[in-house]
Amino acid sequence: MSIVTPESAGTEPDISVVVIVYNDDRRLPVAVRSVLDQSLRNVEVIVVDDCSTDGSYDTARALAAAHPRRVRAIRLPENSGGCGEPRNHGMAAARGRYVMFLDSDDTLERHACRNLLEAAERTGADLVSGRCVRVHTDSRHVKRIPWYPWLYRTTTTVESVADLPDLFVFDTLSTNKCYRRSFLVDHGLTFPRGIHYEDLLFSAEAYLAAARITLIPHTVYFWNVAEKTTAKSISNRRHEINNFTDRLEIHRRIDAVLDRRGLGELKLCKDIKFLKHDLVLYLRDLPFLDNDYRHRFAALARGYVQDFPQEAYDSLDAVHAICAYLLMREDWDHLMPAIDTLINRKKISAPLAERDGRIYWCDRHLDDPAAREVMDVTRLGYHGKPLERMFLRNLLTRYAVRGGTVLLAGAVVNPLHTVPADADLTAELELRARRRSLRSYRFPVRTVRHEGDALTWQAAVPLARAFRPVGVLDEVWDIRLHLTADGQRTTSRITAGSVDLENAPALPVRPRLTRLVADRLAPQVSAKGHLAFRLTQHSPAAQRGRALVDRNLHGPAARAAKRTYRGLRAVRRDLTSGTRKVQVYHRMLRLLPVRKGTVVFESHLGKQYSDSPRALYEELRRRQTPVTAIWSYAGARPTGFPADAELVRRWSWRYLRALAQAEFWIDNQGFPLKLAKRPETTYLQTWHGSALKKMGFDQPAHRVMSEHAQLAYQQALDRFDHFLVRGEHDVRTLARAYRIPEHKLLRLGYPRNDALVRAARNPRTPDPALRSLAERLGIHPDRRVLLYAPTFRSRPDGRARDFAFPFDIEAFAERFADQYTLLVRSHYLNRVTLPPSVTGRVIDVTGEPDITPLLLLSDALITDYSSVMFDYALLRRPMVFYAHDWEEYSRDTRGTYFDLPAEAPGPVAHTEDELFAALGDLRALSTRYEARLKEFVNRYGEYDRGDAAARIVDRFFAPTRQAP
Amino acid sequence: MTQREIFFVANEVNELGGVGRWQHQMARLLSERGHRVRIIGISPPEVPMDLGAHPPYETLTLYDRRPPGRRKPRLGLGRFDPAVRRQEASRRAVAERLSRAFRAARPGAVIIVTQVWAMEWVALADTAGHLVIGMSHESFGATRHSSRFARVRRYYQDVDRLLVLTQEDADRWAVEGLTHVSFLPNPLPLTPDAPSPRTEKAVASIGRLDHAKGVDLLLDTWAEAAPRQPGWLLRIYGTGEHEAALRRQCTDLGLDDSVEWAGRTDDVVGALRRSSVFVQSSRGEGFPLVLLEAMACGVPCVAFDCSPGVREIVRNGEDGLLARHGNVSELADHLGRLMADENLRDTMGERARQNVRRFAPEVITRRWEELFAFLER
Repeated sequence: MSIVTPESAGTEPDISVVVIVYNDDRRLPVAVRSVLDQSLRNVEVIVVDDCSTDGSYDTARALAAAHPRRVRAIRLPENSGGCGEPRNHGMAAARGRYVMFLDSDDTLERHACRNLLEAAERTGADLVSGRCVRVHTDSRHVKRIPWYPWLYRTTTTVESVADLPDLFVFDTLSTNKCYRRSFLVDHGLTFPRGIHYEDLLFSAEAYLAAARITLIPHTVYFWNVAEKTTAKSISNRRHEINNFTDRLEIHRRIDAVLDRRGLGELKLCKDIKFLKHDLVLYLRDLPFLDNDYRHRFAALARGYVQDFPQEAYDSLDAVHAICAYLLMREDWDHLMPAIDTLINRKKISAPLAERDGRIYWCDRHLDDPAAREVMDVTRLGYHGKPLERMFLRNLLTRYAVRGGTVLLAGAVVNPLHTVPADADLTAELELRARRRSLRSYRFPVRTVRHEGDALTWQAAVPLARAFRPVGVLDEVWDIRLHLTADGQRTTSRITAGSVDLENAPALPVRPRLTRLVADRLAPQVSAKGHLAFRLTQHSPAAQRGRALVDRNLHGPAARAAKRTYRGLRAVRRDLTSGTRKVQVYHRMLRLLPVRKGTVVFESHLGKQYSDSPRALYEELRRRQTPVTAIWSYAGARPTGFPADAELVRRWSWRYLRALAQAEFWIDNQGFPLKLAKRPETTYLQTWHGSALKKMGFDQPAHRVMSEHAQLAYQQALDRFDHFLVRGEHDVRTLARAYRIPEHKLLRLGYPRNDALVRAARNPRTPDPALRSLAERLGIHPDRRVLLYAPTFRSRPDGRARDFAFPFDIEAFAERFADQYTLLVRSHYLNRVTLPPSVTGRVIDVTGEPDITPLLLLSDALITDYSSVMFDYALLRRPMVFYAHDWEEYSRDTRGTYFDLPAEAPGPVAHTEDELFAALGDLRALSTRYEARLKEFVNRYGEYDRGDAAARIVDRFFAPTRQAP
Repeated sequence: MTQREIFFVANEVNELGGVGRWQHQMARLLSERGHRVRIIGISPPEVPMDLGAHPPYETLTLYDRRPPGRRKPRLGLGRFDPAVRRQEASRRAVAERLSRAFRAARPGAVIIVTQVWAMEWVALADTAGHLVIGMSHESFGATRHSSRFARVRRYYQDVDRLLVLTQEDADRWAVEGLTHVSFLPNPLPLTPDAPSPRTEKAVASIGRLDHAKGVDLLLDTWAEAAPRQPGWLLRIYGTGEHEAALRRQCTDLGLDDSVEWAGRTDDVVGALRRSSVFVQSSRGEGFPLVLLEAMACGVPCVAFDCSPGVREIVRNGEDGLLARHGNVSELADHLGRLMADENLRDTMGERARQNVRRFAPEVITRRWEELFAFLER
């Protein structure tokens, strides 16, 4: 579909592409071809050879001869050693209205010039930039990773780069851009000479000079990257430290330009970026280098970053700030673990220290208040984690080879002395192939010792004898340490640190495919700094064998084998896929009989054993009604489910079969929407709360669904045979929103709330279960209990926002220490982190499966807009509404059914002060709001009378029904 | 100016609807500029549109009856399935008629493929020496959730340019990796002599009475808005399969006194000139012509912000008001604002009339001709 026209005869090309080359005659033609094949034809190529010593210049001249009107070749008289000078020469020779740069090892996307030119002409921009994609040419599937994709999502035009600081600080490439040539000439823009990182300065000056910049989301440039993902060598790392001087020099020059133009804001963004990114590039290498290099680097860095404003440091997250601070102080002992956490963000690397109820990275530097703030890691929530969920730093301290055995020793950090000194310690090492393991290998660890801040271990691993890899496809093996302390297991990776692995001898190894594929096992360091092993070939026989394997891995036989394997894998995936399961389920519906007396229970999509399904189940058990009860659970293992019921995992084959044959379905949210229900099965939908926020078809998102999608949803809703309501409010809101016809409504109230109604009637009856719950939670018997149960907030994309206390929790604990214990229960989509300073006074109860006992236990409730208010009201105990963001919440896309502040049966606080004031006197609240509470219950839950479970069981499971 | 041969290849030559109207108008505009225009339809229309007695272009339809969709190969046979091969062969034979037409044209002709289904035949034809421009006349979001998403990627991959309706849609396609994408909006379908006097207390809605146009949402909106502005009338133009249900809903909401069912109209300008506000409550739109028409008549629009096309046409707060998609209360608030404020109606209506000139036929035609020239560079 290309037009055959004579090659552009016009004198002026639209775009000149400057292709620079140095000793790369192999790839140069590919780069030039990518320009000649552009869909925009009026483009010229200027190849600038930086005085190569190979045939690059000849190749360039041959290309010029083959395309006389489109390609020119230039050669520098002597090698310049960088990319800047050749590009400057290319620019000077260019005739096009626009100029672009291309490196000989990269290529342009086919429509790059057309898209950049179209944008430039449409917006009149001096500089148009497009998406660059890094192509990992040596990865297995030639991975393509877009470069700063968030900058290149939409077409954006700015009159000044100050309006788009991210562009200025992140995209410092000069190659993915198209510059108006007259703009370059007018501003005298050239690349600096004789210095690395010339792109940074050129881009910065071009951005700042441009009167208009346009970004387009089209991919324009393929940056071919051929770096192995494994670690760099020591000399590589040293080399990079040496380059650091150049980087700083470039940054200083950019700062001078910014200073001249008075762009302080942009400078701040650049400082922050420097601390977060540039510095980190080098920090990663520090653990592998000796003290001399570390010191030189620290001195250089300090010389530059110490003048950064405090604001720059304030915007760093905890780990970055700690690293920057410790580097300035040259506190290597504490910096090395911090760098480990910087690379492995979930890792706990330091022993930590607790002071005055806060957690600090280390016990040093704490005298200085500013440093103390930097070292404070309470927010990271390390202290709240159980040992099993901790990913601990495990530093290798010894690596030696004795015959066929590797002697390893290391130290696992013991943060806050989580593992007590008298703990029973055992450990084992595990080797597992990175790509695909037929099996893993486990070796016992000889000694594990508790040494306070660390747990040290030593092992002798007989790899040569006991380790038998296949030899092909499992070349790289990762090693982990499983440490068990008093029955709790934690798994760590082994950080290589400064142990010299580069010169460590390799071990002999005997693969299952014989020594002809590999005969040595050599240690190596992964990209994350962890110890691993790689199979290598030492003897000539092994090297030849390996070469043969490599050839055959790409031969026709291997391709056929791979195809077959993929085919089988696809069949297996298909058999266990959701669609297949749904198909088989519907066949089961037709073929299998109903099992009378079976009831499938599910609460909150299987996440919990709770709520009304639980209350109904317990009522059935109490009466010893002969039913076969089946509970559905989500996740790997059921926790907290009853022992006397059959448990099936949600979406498992047994689950589907149970649903297909059940006589009753009882759930509070919805069995999978795609599963139809047979008419013989009765579906009792208990629902899980009255509504303040708009639900179902009242939500805008549902209203605008396509006809097809609405129909499918309606069919899923039509499966309900009975729908429980707590009051006429539910009939007006939920029943309408889910389009549930009148005859399906059960006006009986919620079984889960029976206990609340009963407790309100007999407030003085003690409940032993509650007392033991209070003891288990560690609630002080003399203090009254407040429950704080906020709902979640959604982000614009619909997902839940992270939870943060909307009031100062430490101030709360301080003020009410003698009066209250505060229980905090966030929505199950959220997680709570408490500072240790509030221990004993504030307790996180988010993990408790059932909320009802917590409601019973508490003397008052603080909530915002959670539907728990409707249930708690039944207890007739005080409620305080902390509606600090009501305006925003009620106006978000969903909307609400009523105006909460007007109807709330308790004080509505908008600020922390108002909240604390309202909590001052609970007794007064009780009396003041007694009437309002009663009215609220009558309006929103008049059918909750304490006998819901009994009446439902009477109606559906009474003996007259003749259970089998 | 270069005189060109221009082919439109579409699913049908004259199917009733937005795309059909656009195609007819563009073909007329380009032939008025001296180009030789032909429209080729793959299949005859289901509901034909009247093209007038002497359209200024030639037409041709390839099939007598609508051809079936592409066969899926039976399990394991892949492209060797004889049924698939037979269908392929017969499609090639039909595509050969396209090839003959293209070969007869001077080199440098432009082939505009209006819809992706038609591209299945153009891809089989010989287009050497000509420019091929593929088009998608719906929003990215609408394509994303249909089988057309895969088909656009497959059949349009080698065209010289893929055109969508707005910059925002083009950006989303570009992020998906389609680097030959650009955009060109639809032209204003009519240029009324005089604007609406905006004196009648009437809100107009024009569109088919089906699920996509969301008139049920409009009735809910009106139930919130009407009581606050007594004396106003909602006039609903159009017919469709949902009419009976919608009238029932109207009665149930107690709106019979303030809603008029005006039926289908051929006189859109007349309908708009009898109203002071235009409302659109669609579940999905591409580049809705009716909003352009309302604005050209100086009638300020209130609409759901359901697609980039709507955002492109109406500048929220400047020449019309947009509500978040599906948010009935917000749409009602916006309607209320305009109904309550004559000044606001006048300023927004006048601005709408001015602003919509950027889609004037001569402006859009010029952009097409510039595009042809640009693609030859």
